Amino acid sequence: MTPAATEPDDDNSVKMMDYFMQLEYREPLCPVVRRYADQLLEGRLIGHQCPSCGLVYLPPRGYCPICVVETTDADETVLSDRGTVTNYTVVTPVQYYGQHETEPFVRASVTLDGGNATMNLQDLVDVPVDEVRVGMRVAAVWKPKGERSVADISNRSWGSAEGCIDGWRPTGEPDAPAEQFLGKATF
Amino acid sequence: MDDIAIIGYAQSPSQRRAELTEPQFLFPVISEAIERANVERRDIGFTCAGSCDYLSGQTFAFVMNLEAVGAWPPISESHVEMDGAWALYEAWVRLQHGDIDVALAFGSGKSSPGDPSEIYPLQLDPYTLTPLGADPVSMAALQARAMLDKGTITEQEMAEIAVRSRTNAANNPYAQVRGSGDVDTLLREPYVTAPLRRHDLPPISDGASAVVLATADKARAVCERPVWIRGIDHRIEPHQPGMRDLTESISTRQAGRHAGIDHGPVEVAELSATFSHQEKLLREALGLGDEVQVNPSGGALAANPVMAVGLARIAEAARAISERGVSRALAHATSGQCLQQNLVCVLEGA
Amino acid sequence: MTTHTIEFPYTRTLGPVIGPFLTGLRDGHVLGVRNRDGRVLVPPLEWDPATGEAIDVDFVEVGPAGTVETWAWVTEPTRKHPLDHPFAFALIRLDGADTALLHAVDAGSMDRMRTGMRVVARWKDERAGHITDLSFVPEEAA
Repeated sequence: MTPAATEPDDDNSVKMMDYFMQLEYREPLCPVVRRYADQLLEGRLIGHQCPSCGLVYLPPRGYCPICVVETTDADETVLSDRGTVTNYTVVTPVQYYGQHETEPFVRASVTLDGGNATMNLQDLVDVPVDEVRVGMRVAAVWKPKGERSVADISNRSWGSAEGCIDGWRPTGEPDAPAEQFLGKATF
Repeated sequence: MDDIAIIGYAQSPSQRRAELTEPQFLFPVISEAIERANVERRDIGFTCAGSCDYLSGQTFAFVMNLEAVGAWPPISESHVEMDGAWALYEAWVRLQHGDIDVALAFGSGKSSPGDPSEIYPLQLDPYTLTPLGADPVSMAALQARAMLDKGTITEQEMAEIAVRSRTNAANNPYAQVRGSGDVDTLLREPYVTAPLRRHDLPPISDGASAVVLATADKARAVCERPVWIRGIDHRIEPHQPGMRDLTESISTRQAGRHAGIDHGPVEVAELSATFSHQEKLLREALGLGDEVQVNPSGGALAANPVMAVGLARIAEAARAISERGVSRALAHATSGQCLQQNLVCVLEGA
Repeated sequence: MTTHTIEFPYTRTLGPVIGPFLTGLRDGHVLGVRNRDGRVLVPPLEWDPATGEAIDVDFVEVGPAGTVETWAWVTEPTRKHPLDHPFAFALIRLDGADTALLHAVDAGSMDRMRTGMRVVARWKDERAGHITDLSFVPEEAA
């Protein structure tokens, strides 16, 4: 091939093509997530505790992927809405398509008190970005009962409480020791 | 090539709209296939999955599907963005290395949340075909018209294929479209995309299938009646539909020859004919006479869980051998538009 | 029932074959490419689909009229289709080409479609270098 002959740099030939891909998906909530959403409206976080290994999954998945056993309503457990920041990242937004944030923001993993259950990609509120740290104690900021919505809860958003919890606010308690969480996977 | 055997298989019932998530409905299918294979999960040396993130509407959706496998401690696994039949092909190749003796292949898809006519154009040439919204029904209709014009099929024959599929599906617990309606009634229905009517199209299905493979020694040790893979091959044709002869399936003929279908009589053929006219085209490409039982399960016109349907054909062909005493069967899977890519697998009993 | 939308705004480079092809569409003509055997491929490709050989770029203008090899009547267009009213998808062998191009024929009614019919390109007034810069109409209507 002789691309040079057909691709001069200084002409007005067409060299790029835009294609805007958009797809819509509609699906019912699966039963365990439906139950999770209903409980969120009541101000409760629920999970399934694996009967074999004891790990808690939030929202419930209907199985434990570690033990490969199914979990049911009988394995349901109500979780605390207080916890500890066990991981976080500061995102400095680049204005790509779909990015609505303009200032640096935090996405944190919050491990709930009393077990392993962890909510990922959570917003933190009332705390400057540079003060966020592993070990920080936080509590859920629930929307008032009448203002809660589960419209954004889907089978795809494991761990989200969007529409019901605005984020997590530092409680002012002394930090939990960070070494307890660093280098460990959360679920 | 070493002989590899199918020692376990399972499918989910196909549903128009599954309430469960893809990992959730995969979960019992994989467990059942392993249980039927009479092996332990930890015996599996390699796992390969077939699924499509565009169907799921989520990037890396295939990683979630691994939750149904049991991937901790870490396992050796792979994924194809293709029907599970190609996952089985990769697992078969992997077993040829001889260092492991059991492999798992599965396929799954949840087609119901999206619109197939908008998703599938994205698998085509992004400059000249995707921007036209070239959907699979329209593409299949071009192929059917070419066959009708050439005189290699009639609309009556297409309806007869649909009726036979639905009738056969009556006894298949995994099928979705089961039997009623005679040919004349179907032919009075309006065209969806002429020359195709509703009965010429596959249903929209959610579902999964799984197959467990083993090397010869392992298969004999754990399985009373292994189903032997005597040959497996896949071939592909040019992508542009206007650069192929749509009235023939050269790639199917080549795959069939390389898989060794001519080495003995075929009793049962499970074909991934997702549109009625394609069954006739495939029969001719594979040289299947009237004595061959085609799609006793009802085939893809009765249940079309995309990404699982080709592997389900292999599972159905294996079932014909292990449960119904058939001695030799073939399974076919397809990928792309208008049968662009085709896989043929020849199975035998003892 | 939950609703979920995914969007990707793709921008693709076009290269030495598709670039001139789409430039041609913008400028109102259809280009094919000649392979080693002298066959003219439309749309043009960088590699010969029959042999896998790289094609020496040798553009040939084809069309703008051609013959319908097969067609499908789309009763209910999707929002991704090039026309918003019933139309035919067709494989069209443009005059001077040895392969067929997939495109839309705006025939008004299915009764006006038949295999072997002649169609001709209908160009948009505003063209961007895109496969939808044109569609086809029956030749007698042009």
